[in-house]
Amino acid sequence: MACEKIQGLLSPYLDGELTPEAKAEVDAHLSSCPECAELLSLLRIATDSLASFPEVEPSRDLKAKLYAIQARKKKLRSSLDFLVKPSLQPVFAAATVLLIIFSFYMFGPYKKDIDKSVNRQIHHGYSQLEKLYAKAGSVTDSLGATAENILVSLKKINPLGKNEE
Amino acid sequence: MLVDMYSKKVFNMAYQFSGSYQEAEDLTQDIFLKLYHQLGKYDFEKNFTAWLLTLVKNYMIDAYRRTKWEKRQRDDFEKHVHAVSGPDNPETGLWEGENKKILWQGLNELSPDVRMAIVLKEIQGKKYEEAAEILGLPIGTVKSRINRGRLQLAKILRDKKEKIYGL
Repeated sequence: MACEKIQGLLSPYLDGELTPEAKAEVDAHLSSCPECAELLSLLRIATDSLASFPEVEPSRDLKAKLYAIQARKKKLRSSLDFLVKPSLQPVFAAATVLLIIFSFYMFGPYKKDIDKSVNRQIHHGYSQLEKLYAKAGSVTDSLGATAENILVSLKKINPLGKNEE
Repeated sequence: MLVDMYSKKVFNMAYQFSGSYQEAEDLTQDIFLKLYHQLGKYDFEKNFTAWLLTLVKNYMIDAYRRTKWEKRQRDDFEKHVHAVSGPDNPETGLWEGENKKILWQGLNELSPDVRMAIVLKEIQGKKYEEAAEILGLPIGTVKSRINRGRLQLAKILRDKKEKIYGL
C-alpha cells in the first residue's frame, strides 16, 4: 500500500513539484525500498529517452500532395472572390429582401387569401382586356362604316356641276 | 506557407501518436484538408500553433476511435530514423537505443488520452500549460494523465528488461 502511494508521487517528485514534507516522505521510502527506487530510475530513463526521440522527415510525395491541396484551395478561393465584391452587395441585399417576402408568402398564414386575391385580380384584368378588345372591334367597325359613307358622299358630290353621265 | 511551416510538426505528431508512417501520412493529408476548411474560424488573438495542434489532436482522437489502430503494430523504431549521432560509449548507446525501442512500442499500450498527453509533454517538449491549452483540459488533469503515462512506461521498461535480460 505504501509503495502504491509513493509510486503515485514519483512523477511530481521528478518534476520537483512536491512539498518539502511529501518529498521527505518519498526520500525516506526510497532509501528502504529498492523496488520503488528502481522505478524512479526507470521513470528518469523513460522521460530522458522520450525527450530525445528524433523527428522523422515526411516523404517528398506527402509534401507534394500537401502543396497540391494548398494550390487547389487557393484557386477555389480566388474563383469565388467575385462573390465578396462590394459592388454586388446591393444585389445580395435585394435578393435577401425578395427571399424574405417570398418566404412570408410561402410559409405565412395568408397564402390562401393572397392566392385568391391574386386570382381575382388576374380574372378582373383579363375581363377588362376582353372588354377593351370588344370595344376596339366596334370602333374598327364604325370606322369602316364611316369610311364607306365618306366614299359614297364623295361620289355624290360633283364639283364641276356636270351630269354624271 | 502553411505546408512549409507546419507539415513536419503535424506529421511527427501523427507519427508519434499512431506509430505508423503510412497512417501518419494519411492523417497529415486529412488534417491539412480540414485545416483549410477551418481557417475561417481561427481567432487571430489566439496562438496559431496551439490552435492547429488542438485541431490535430481532435482529428487524431476521432480517427483513433473510428479505426481502432491500437490493434495494429507500430513501425520499427529505427525504420524511419536516419543516422542520429549517439553517445561516445557504444555500450551506453546500445542501452539507450534499446530503451527507446521498448518505449516506442510501449506507447501503444497507453490509452489514447494518456498517449496524447505523453506525446505533447514528453516527446514534443511542451510545458504543462501548453499541453493543457492544446488538450483543452485543466492543468491538474493533464498532470495526472502524464503521471499515469510515465509510470506505465517505466513499468513496461522494467518488465521488458526482465524478460530480455532476466534481470
